[in-house]
Amino acid sequence: MSEETGRKEDRVSGPKKNGTNGRRNGNGHSLGAKGIALEGGSIREAFAGKHLLVTGVTGFLGKVWLGMVLDYLPEIRRATVIIRPKKGEDANARFQWIAERSPAFRPLRAKLGAKAFRKLIHDKIRVVEAKLVEPLCGLEEHEADTLLADVDAVVHFAGLTDFEPDPQQAIDANIHGAQHAADLAARTHGKRYIHVSTTFVAGRRSETIDESITVGVAPNGTAFDPAEELRILEAGIAERETKSQRIDYAMERANALGWPNIYTFSKALSEHLIESREDVRTTTFRPAIVECARTYPFEGWNEGINTSGPLVWLLSTTFQRFPARTTNIFDIVPVDTVARSMVVVVAEALRDRAESVYQCGSSAINPFNFRRAVDLTGLAIRRMYARRGDDFEKKVLAKLDPICAEPDPNEVFGHRRMRLMARATRNFLRSFELRENISPKLYEKIDGEKVDQKLRKFSMDCRTTDRKLGQVNDMLRVYLPFVNEIAYVFSTDNLVAATERMSEEERALFGFDVETICWRHYWVNIQVPGLDKWSLPLLRNEKVPDDPPLEVTEAEAARDDNEDAPMRATA
Amino acid sequence: MAETQIGRSAAFFRVEGTLLDRGPLAAAAWLASNAQGVGERIARLGNVALAAPLAFAGELRTGATSTRVTWMGLRGMSEDRLVILAEEYGSKYVEGEVLEIGAELLKKARKQGRQIVLVSDNIDLVVAPLAEALEADDLICNRLEIRSEKATGRLEDPVIGGNVSGQWARAFAQEHGIDLSTSWAYGASGADSLLLSAIGQPCAVNPDRQLRRLARDHEWPVVEK
Repeated sequence: MSEETGRKEDRVSGPKKNGTNGRRNGNGHSLGAKGIALEGGSIREAFAGKHLLVTGVTGFLGKVWLGMVLDYLPEIRRATVIIRPKKGEDANARFQWIAERSPAFRPLRAKLGAKAFRKLIHDKIRVVEAKLVEPLCGLEEHEADTLLADVDAVVHFAGLTDFEPDPQQAIDANIHGAQHAADLAARTHGKRYIHVSTTFVAGRRSETIDESITVGVAPNGTAFDPAEELRILEAGIAERETKSQRIDYAMERANALGWPNIYTFSKALSEHLIESREDVRTTTFRPAIVECARTYPFEGWNEGINTSGPLVWLLSTTFQRFPARTTNIFDIVPVDTVARSMVVVVAEALRDRAESVYQCGSSAINPFNFRRAVDLTGLAIRRMYARRGDDFEKKVLAKLDPICAEPDPNEVFGHRRMRLMARATRNFLRSFELRENISPKLYEKIDGEKVDQKLRKFSMDCRTTDRKLGQVNDMLRVYLPFVNEIAYVFSTDNLVAATERMSEEERALFGFDVETICWRHYWVNIQVPGLDKWSLPLLRNEKVPDDPPLEVTEAEAARDDNEDAPMRATA
Repeated sequence: MAETQIGRSAAFFRVEGTLLDRGPLAAAAWLASNAQGVGERIARLGNVALAAPLAFAGELRTGATSTRVTWMGLRGMSEDRLVILAEEYGSKYVEGEVLEIGAELLKKARKQGRQIVLVSDNIDLVVAPLAEALEADDLICNRLEIRSEKATGRLEDPVIGGNVSGQWARAFAQEHGIDLSTSWAYGASGADSLLLSAIGQPCAVNPDRQLRRLARDHEWPVVEK
């Protein structure tokens, strides 16, 4: 124990981890895979009796991870979840709704039944209402000390994943939120902080991205001071009045250092700032594009509008020329693969043998390029429309296969002319009065009022088309760097090595398994149908149903009666 | 193992004509017409159409040339697209389209304990699900050569052409321990005559004119419905 404590202290007070990519033990010495294997210890043992403080469990990945931990690792002592109140709903109510109605917890609810599930939640989960954007998450000093007294690690999932948000919101969620979560970790005895980031912090670098971070060096090689950059950025944002001005300013700063958008810029700045800290032992987990589940909680589940949802929606319309480079990799990872990898990373951190950075993507082991992605999307959409489309969708849209095409800036992805036509027609019709342009006799003869109504409706349709095409252009502009300009491959050696050290039983549950993904099957039978069910309705402003209310089944009640019977008799 | 196989009786079914009406030309044309992009569809269909005259051109009809040309039109199509489309083709034009007479004969053969062997000049992507649905023991068919996840337009050897030779049947029987003299073969067109001649118990099913004449000459049974 004393030796372990000594290692912890060494690591916490040690030098900055600049560009480290080797396997480390607590002393910063390198260990071979075999050396670590000999140290042993299972994931189950790592979680046994541990208390984790978790942020972001209301998000897609956080939910799946927590459900998986409670399901597969009941040895965990407790998970304290930090949730902020939202829309008049307090943290407890929000979590209860998630636990009882979210599909993420469906396997656990089905396995245990209502009563045992509620008991498990009651025994294992503590909900704390707190706001990550505030210092100490809005907790009083004494509250924080009480809360953190026996916490073994802080796991920080929370973040803002919009590509082009209001920059101050991105900074609050992705930088200050992470700093405040790390502040909490610094007050725990183990000082373990697991930070969920993204592989796309790599910025504009078309190469194999290592699992490392060099603090103070931007993707384009520029040396910068992360704290100073944040200060300048926030000051500049505060000076600008409108959201678009703030976005333009933040984009300018991001581009100058080699990040393609505000999301990756804010996440990367956060990584640099966290890695600079001496008071916590940070393990950074970088998933790539998190998409529909393969098996857990069940095949096809997704939540919210994730990265590929809008792309699939776009390709399900008349839009055919997708501006992606065929050889670029679409680094997709199913959410359950990400969640199981995150279990491994937390276990490694709990055992104080985690690497600095773990990347979780498919590009290095099982690459899925845009040629295949676009081809398979067209085929999956064809199936989708065959299943549930109207005549136009079945006979026309289903047969329009998208293709990868080089973007033409003058044409704005082929929609510029269409948009100009729609706008010109709208402008013309807005001031057009049929009555003034034809004789009254003719106006009456052709039932001019009806024609006027139709023209007004057509004018509105033109406006809608103009707006929709505008949205498409905006969306493609945001996606363009990732689908066309930057060719990434994310190294995942650390997860592979961790998987190699697992027992067969644990590998089946938690092993890094991207090599087993059959993209054809996944994309056509899981991903696109999953998006169609769980994400695309949101783009149409439709609701996605929650699971039905959790109720004690008759079988459960009868079982309880039987179990209670001898007790009653004794009483 | 070999001992138990000696003397086993089999039933060879030529898929085209006895179990399905549609042949490989229809499948290849449908796949080509669903290529990615309109221009590509037209070009591929044109290519497949080249095989149509060959299918009626004497010797070429019975050899593998016509079959090879049929599938050349799919050159460059992605394996993903071929697999997914073949599944769709199967559900539209194969499943539920099995000829009643062929299904009955197959059922009868299985009841008699015969090894069921389906022979087709279609590609595995199209006929493998059929073989599985019919619980066939073996499927002899063509395979598209795939390189770098794309079809090369060539068929893997050996190519099953319109005309399956008796030599092939004898080799297959030897390899699988089948007694050809007690086995049955079901064919529907003149191109199947060599196969039928090599098997002890040939049977013409809904035969075309050429096979009907041959069946009459050799006193082969003819089944029609």
